[in-house]
Amino acid sequence: MSSRIFAALTRDTGGSDSTESDAAAEGDAARSPARTDGGAVADGPGDAAASTDAPSESLRSRFRRSRFLESLPFWGPPGLLVLFFVYGAIGWNFVISLTGWEGLGSPDYSSLSTEMYTRLLTDASFHAAFRNTLVLLLAFTVLSLVVGLLVAILVDQKIRLENTLRTIYLLPMSLSFVVTAIFWSWMYNPRIGLVNEVLRGVGLESLTQAWLSDPQFKLAAIIFALMWQFSGYCMVVYLAGLRAIPDAQYEAARIDGASTVRLYWRVIVPQLRASTMSATVVLVVFALKAFDFLFVLFGVNPGQSADILSVMMYRVAFDRIQWAYGSAVAMVLFAMALGVIGPYLFVQYRRGEL
Amino acid sequence: MSRDNSADSENRLTRRHYVAGAGTLATVGIAGCSGGGDGSDGSDGSDGSDGSDGSDGSDGSDGGDSSAELEIVHWWTAGGEQDAYQALLDGFREEHPDVEIVDNPAPGGAGSAIDTVIQNRVIDGNPPSTFQIWPGQALTPYTDEGLLQDIGDSVWDEEMRSAYLDGVRDLAQPAGNLVAVPINIHRLNNLFYNVSVVEDAGVDPSSIDGPQGLLDAMETVAAETDATPMAHQTQAPWSSLQMWESIFIGQQGADDYQSLIGGDVESLESEVRNSLETLAAYADYYPEDAGSISWDQGNNQVIEGDAAFLHQGDWAAGQYGSADGFEFESDWDMVPFPGTSGVYQSVIDSFVFPTNNPSPEATEKFLNYAGTVDAQERFNPIKGSIPPRTDVPMDEFGDFLSRQFEDFQNSNTQPPAIAHGTAVAPAIQSSLSEVFANFNGSLDVDSAYEGIRDAF
Repeated sequence: MSSRIFAALTRDTGGSDSTESDAAAEGDAARSPARTDGGAVADGPGDAAASTDAPSESLRSRFRRSRFLESLPFWGPPGLLVLFFVYGAIGWNFVISLTGWEGLGSPDYSSLSTEMYTRLLTDASFHAAFRNTLVLLLAFTVLSLVVGLLVAILVDQKIRLENTLRTIYLLPMSLSFVVTAIFWSWMYNPRIGLVNEVLRGVGLESLTQAWLSDPQFKLAAIIFALMWQFSGYCMVVYLAGLRAIPDAQYEAARIDGASTVRLYWRVIVPQLRASTMSATVVLVVFALKAFDFLFVLFGVNPGQSADILSVMMYRVAFDRIQWAYGSAVAMVLFAMALGVIGPYLFVQYRRGEL
Repeated sequence: MSRDNSADSENRLTRRHYVAGAGTLATVGIAGCSGGGDGSDGSDGSDGSDGSDGSDGSDGSDGGDSSAELEIVHWWTAGGEQDAYQALLDGFREEHPDVEIVDNPAPGGAGSAIDTVIQNRVIDGNPPSTFQIWPGQALTPYTDEGLLQDIGDSVWDEEMRSAYLDGVRDLAQPAGNLVAVPINIHRLNNLFYNVSVVEDAGVDPSSIDGPQGLLDAMETVAAETDATPMAHQTQAPWSSLQMWESIFIGQQGADDYQSLIGGDVESLESEVRNSLETLAAYADYYPEDAGSISWDQGNNQVIEGDAAFLHQGDWAAGQYGSADGFEFESDWDMVPFPGTSGVYQSVIDSFVFPTNNPSPEATEKFLNYAGTVDAQERFNPIKGSIPPRTDVPMDEFGDFLSRQFEDFQNSNTQPPAIAHGTAVAPAIQSSLSEVFANFNGSLDVDSAYEGIRDAF
């Protein structure tokens, strides 16, 4: 039944020649209509006559059977819901950021201005949060990708206990940020934490630090902890990419005398571009809203050495009840996310992968 | 399942029509629904009066059966707090068995989650019957918009007014009229200490004269023992903020503190800088892991004899009570923070009467009860705080709280606390917290002073 509905939906493109399409449908009902590229050709003999003979009726019948209209019931309702609840909310948030809404009253929509955005430009804590967000985004993404790739390559060496190791590496990903934040606050404890204990144990006493309170190391410590949690995800993505590369290519490269480093650098890694792309987008979007981790560790005030925009947004809106200012911070975050997602979607679209 | 185009073209046509028709109907229906939602959302957001009208209507419709339901939003969900709250509810049930209580906790230390919950509900015109909040300036966002009912006549009768000290009653009327019922008072300017550690170091806490003297005492502790002099935490900024408040009062007195929280920072520049420098000097004597621990983990170091002093509100004493073999006066003791002996810096919880109330009668009953001797006598001994009413018998309270209560009644002044909402509006409190979050890391007096100046 489902294939019949699908066929009806795509009849315009697929059903140009009923016998041919029938034959194809026998084999692969779902794929054949999408593969055929015959949208311009009319459907049945009657339709064909209509389209050539009477232009006015053709307009009507074409309208009636246009793919847009026919598919509307399927994407229309969810589209409307998304439009209303997602894009509508973003739009409303933008309007709020143009008001001066503070406190527990109602926003005043009569006088809109960009005052909140100019205020952002002179706010030292916004500067710090913006800078930290960028640093977090870049360092966290790159580090997670590199570590994930290395682990994936190692796990891909047909080693024993591969499944066990894979689970171990992926496990942190399944933990809640609340758990990992508390866990890492113990790890980083300068007096009894494992990090400093290990450093002391191997005689590197001079490297021990108050990781989470020294402004110099605070952000780096957070980035490392987040990387620990997310490199497992990168590993899985890369592992899937690696498994898709035929063994023949490894063998061919070996026969040509490539060293292991050269083999991966020149032959394998370039083929993992799609994996890198999708992992990057997930990581970057996560980095932009890495709220939970910081909130659990420091509450709403991590201090300027570790403040990021998502925490600042929450602090301004819910701690200071300055809704408009918080909305402005949220719009900056939204623009940053769009700046990452937009180009990605565009590239995908250009490649025909959307 | 093969497509049979030629044979059932007619059948297909009707099916297509049907699908299209059904789809159109669904679309219209959903558009209608969301359109309706749009309308009500719009009126909620763009026009406060419309929104509240609407919710008035819905209140009215279910008012008949829910008027006796009392919804209380609070953050007392941990250990002793939970028990104290239950004791309060038990007393209320005895007095008013007809009122059904809907308990709605919003857990999160010191109200970190409750603000969000309450603010959203109040903005939506759907407040609970009553909720827990710090009195004083923390109430101003609500009083600015007229969201709290004046309970000066209905709850605060003459008998109750005369039972509260002036400083506490003033906090219940930030905008001139009484809107809150304080139910407990914690003291903030305490210096707790482990008796044996302090004796080992040869320091007599009761003879320390002022915040600078405490610095010398901590130096002695550091030199004479292995213990950490001050079990302070810097993971979250509020502990440093409240210690700075106590240092400021200890150095400059309560009057300067009152003008400071009044916003007059610039004329007190050197005084503020002085207190910040003292606080920066204290940082040498914090635990090594101050940045990774919570205040109660710090307090544990005092219990275990690994630390000498702790500056904290007297909720810290609850932890001593539950520690085995750690007794008041023989193992731990407390003096007012040096320089603040006549001061009872107050951290207070209160209940309020939001307007647009779903259960006005039950709320009034509850607030009346919260202001009685019976309620405060049940609640406070378990909470580890003293009652704001001065006529509550102290039989149940134990030695420590009895002494605190005596200090309270003999205190010259009961200034509010910045770190606990009573002294400054929430926006200023949050800005100051951010200043001290930065100060904890940098110990930079200049930028902290500028931050404090800009916060007001």
